Amino acid sequence: MQTAQTLSSRSAPPSRKRNVSFAWLGVVPFFLFAALFLILPSGILLVGAVQDKQGNFTLANFAGMFKGVSLGLVAAPSQANLLGLTFPLPFTVDFQSNSMINAYILSIQVSVVTAFLGGVIGFLLAYAAVLGGLPKFVRSALLTFSGVASYFSGVPLAFAFIATLGRLGFVTVLIRNIFGFDLYMTGFSVLSLLGLVLTYTYFQFPLMVLVITPALDGLKREWREASENLGASAFEYWRHVAFPIILPSLLGTMILLFGNSFGAVATAYALTGGNFQLATILIFRQIRGEVLQDPGLGYAVAVGMIVVMALSLGLYYWLQRRSERWLRR
Amino acid sequence: MKRIPLFPWILIFLGFLYFFLPLIGTLDFSLRLVKDQITLEAYKNVVTSARFQNTFTYSFIMALWTIVAATLLVTPTVYWVHLKLPHLRPIVEFITLLTYVVPAIILVFGLIRIYSRPPLSLLESEIGSDFLLVMGYVSLALPAMYRSVDAGLRAIDVRTLTEAAQSLGAGWRTILLDVIFPNLRVALLSGAFVTFAMVIGEFTIATFLARPAFGPYMANLGQTRPYESTALTIISLALTWACIGMMQLLGRGAQGQIAGTR
Amino acid sequence: MAFLELTNISKVFGQTPAVQDFNLQVEKGEFVSFLGPSGCGKTTTLRMIAGFELPTTGTVVVNGNDVTNKPPQKRNTGMVFQAYALFPNMNVAENIGFGLKIARKPKDEIKKRVEEVLAIIKMESFGNRYPYQLSGGQQQRVALARALAIQPQVLLLDEPLSALDAKIRVSLRQEIRAIQQKLGITTVYVTHDQEEALSLSDRVVVMNNSKIEQVGTPFEIYNFPKTEFTAQFVGTLNSIPATVRHAANGELTVDSQTLVTAQKLAGIADGEAVMISIRPERISFASEGRKPNVLNIKVENITFLGSIVRVQVRAGEHLFLMDTFNNPFLKLPEVGDKVEITFSKEAVLVLRHASQI
Repeated sequence: MQTAQTLSSRSAPPSRKRNVSFAWLGVVPFFLFAALFLILPSGILLVGAVQDKQGNFTLANFAGMFKGVSLGLVAAPSQANLLGLTFPLPFTVDFQSNSMINAYILSIQVSVVTAFLGGVIGFLLAYAAVLGGLPKFVRSALLTFSGVASYFSGVPLAFAFIATLGRLGFVTVLIRNIFGFDLYMTGFSVLSLLGLVLTYTYFQFPLMVLVITPALDGLKREWREASENLGASAFEYWRHVAFPIILPSLLGTMILLFGNSFGAVATAYALTGGNFQLATILIFRQIRGEVLQDPGLGYAVAVGMIVVMALSLGLYYWLQRRSERWLRR
Repeated sequence: MKRIPLFPWILIFLGFLYFFLPLIGTLDFSLRLVKDQITLEAYKNVVTSARFQNTFTYSFIMALWTIVAATLLVTPTVYWVHLKLPHLRPIVEFITLLTYVVPAIILVFGLIRIYSRPPLSLLESEIGSDFLLVMGYVSLALPAMYRSVDAGLRAIDVRTLTEAAQSLGAGWRTILLDVIFPNLRVALLSGAFVTFAMVIGEFTIATFLARPAFGPYMANLGQTRPYESTALTIISLALTWACIGMMQLLGRGAQGQIAGTR
Repeated sequence: MAFLELTNISKVFGQTPAVQDFNLQVEKGEFVSFLGPSGCGKTTTLRMIAGFELPTTGTVVVNGNDVTNKPPQKRNTGMVFQAYALFPNMNVAENIGFGLKIARKPKDEIKKRVEEVLAIIKMESFGNRYPYQLSGGQQQRVALARALAIQPQVLLLDEPLSALDAKIRVSLRQEIRAIQQKLGITTVYVTHDQEEALSLSDRVVVMNNSKIEQVGTPFEIYNFPKTEFTAQFVGTLNSIPATVRHAANGELTVDSQTLVTAQKLAGIADGEAVMISIRPERISFASEGRKPNVLNIKVENITFLGSIVRVQVRAGEHLFLMDTFNNPFLKLPEVGDKVEITFSKEAVLVLRHASQI
């Protein structure tokens, strides 16, 4: 009797029959949150982007984003400019653009470059720490620092780079005192695009270290031995086996880094005060009502960013699935 | 046979240089408020300023609310999905990734657009704005929190534990509080620290919701007081270190984030 | 001169000796197994043949060439790993053709060779599959094919079956043996499974504690173990303390009952304590026909193992096992019954003095 009473006085778990019909209730708060604070806000931007001022459906806002944009090729040599470096080109690109498309192009350029730089640096560091034959503490130090550095971003990071590479920054002064050479005489500025890239890369490469280290750990000793056994040199092993195996993770992570940088705004804003017309900065100013008088156009620009991010995430998943499938066994 | 791995050492050296130079530079800069002197004056100015104290306290409290809200939102959901609704798992995972697809600046754009006008004019009141800020932060923290709890639940095999507890006569309250929660403590704590590190200096959402938060204050200070703002940088960095250090101490190891307060 | 010669091989890791005084000659086309518990040095020895480890002392000679200090790439051995070690980014055909591609063989030659080898492992239609699409057994067959594709001088297999299910293990082991005999390839096979070693090999090398215990044909190893380790490790064995009663006649006492051994008990005095060993399958119930030795025992336990029935019996204070074939028409004694068991003189091996154990 005693036992039966104690048992029944506790809230007994619902029986199986009731679970089936009401189990979904348990996830209602979560979906409600998602609807109110994630889906609705993005949805309202999408709705705004396909409405004109009277609230009628229109695609004019998206058309407006591309207003004045044209692309042509002229058969005359010219020079290309990427982040302050010039390359000769055998043809001339006749590209007319507007401020919105330019903002996207700049954002994408910065994101691609910092994702690539961060990816390469992160990979080399992880490679050195995991497979370079260094003592164990190097690896754990690198992982710890990367864990911290990947969270070091936004406003403080911008200040750190100004304090380091600004006109009176620590490294600038150090180089001037030791080598008698003024960085700023070369046209370098931490407030330039190159400065922005260096700053962004700081939070990019640690993330690559964190993601690629387990991937490098996942390279089995037997794969190397099997390839040696079949006559392959260390280089051939890397070229045919190890590198192709980690390539999906490498590319996938670079895509994450791309998105990381594409959506960043605080760092750029604090560093340059909105001098660079990145897509995020454009939206920043749009919300403040500084640019683009047409609100519909502003929504279209925001939706465009969501589209770019969604595409990059889709690509990431595709690559991820591929490498997981390979490494399942 | 043993050769010194010269190339790896050089790589690591350069990497650590990249990592540490800005930190050293910032520290150095923050100590030079008075010409030709190493001084903690800038720190003193910052810490004693009322604006710092107010904004920091505000952000700290908001961070705590965010942690509470995110924990209460994520833990039961993930537990329930593990236990009863495994087919919803991809959808829940997809939602946590929406945060990645919708960066903070876009999110706050949409939040303002919805909640600054009827029928949901939350932004008219202080408390409503604070609530919206916390909700925005919960969105930012969602992926990290979700992955932390998900990994924690995966590690303990919830279903078996729950069924074992049920077979011993435990009710839901006992199961959640005495069985599941203690096993999740490490996962929840590490999620909390990550959330704190992400939220304490957040700039974008706080700025546009016009909240008196630490991030906007820092950005503001940077335009007028360079030494004080670098001192703030060191302070907020020390906080991040402490949070991530605690997290790693908890044994969750290094874990990256894919969305946050860039 | 033997095809593969391992002379005075030793290997020390730090302070720990992994292999000591290893001498072995393997003839061309021979299938030799290294059998022993984990940590006995068998895998290390195999890895020294492959070139993944360099011996601390001694030489490895393959087909008259000293390869002791050659890197693995230059040895032309084919290795099959326990964990398959297929390259996950390549399909079956690319995996098998990898060694030939590295050797810069022309494309059509590679294609032809890959098809040949796929035919050997009977997986002709699997060339385009990826490793993750294959079962464990299939993966291991591909790994074998990959090792065979380069036409190695020596085939090395490192516990290739231990990750597989029991049934696949048996069928694949027969397949490995059939392929090996067909190709006549010199093979060294490492295993801790005595059944595998006995069923596959021309000769078995039993190893323990970094040293060779015994080298011999499976028949010799099983029936005439030279050391107690070999006797214990290979097959099930009853070790029973006994006293020598009359050395010249081979008479011993167990539980005050008298036994006779066919073994010469030279150098052992009457009254000395010894250890005798008897394989369970050599013991039968006296009701099925008496042999020279008969013991009165009590049945303690009966375990049904399928084709055989294992009976635990007690003679005085000594417990030991006997195996009898499962015969549905024969009634077994029941637990607690007192019956007679019987075995031949030859079944009784006197291993070593009890005082030395």
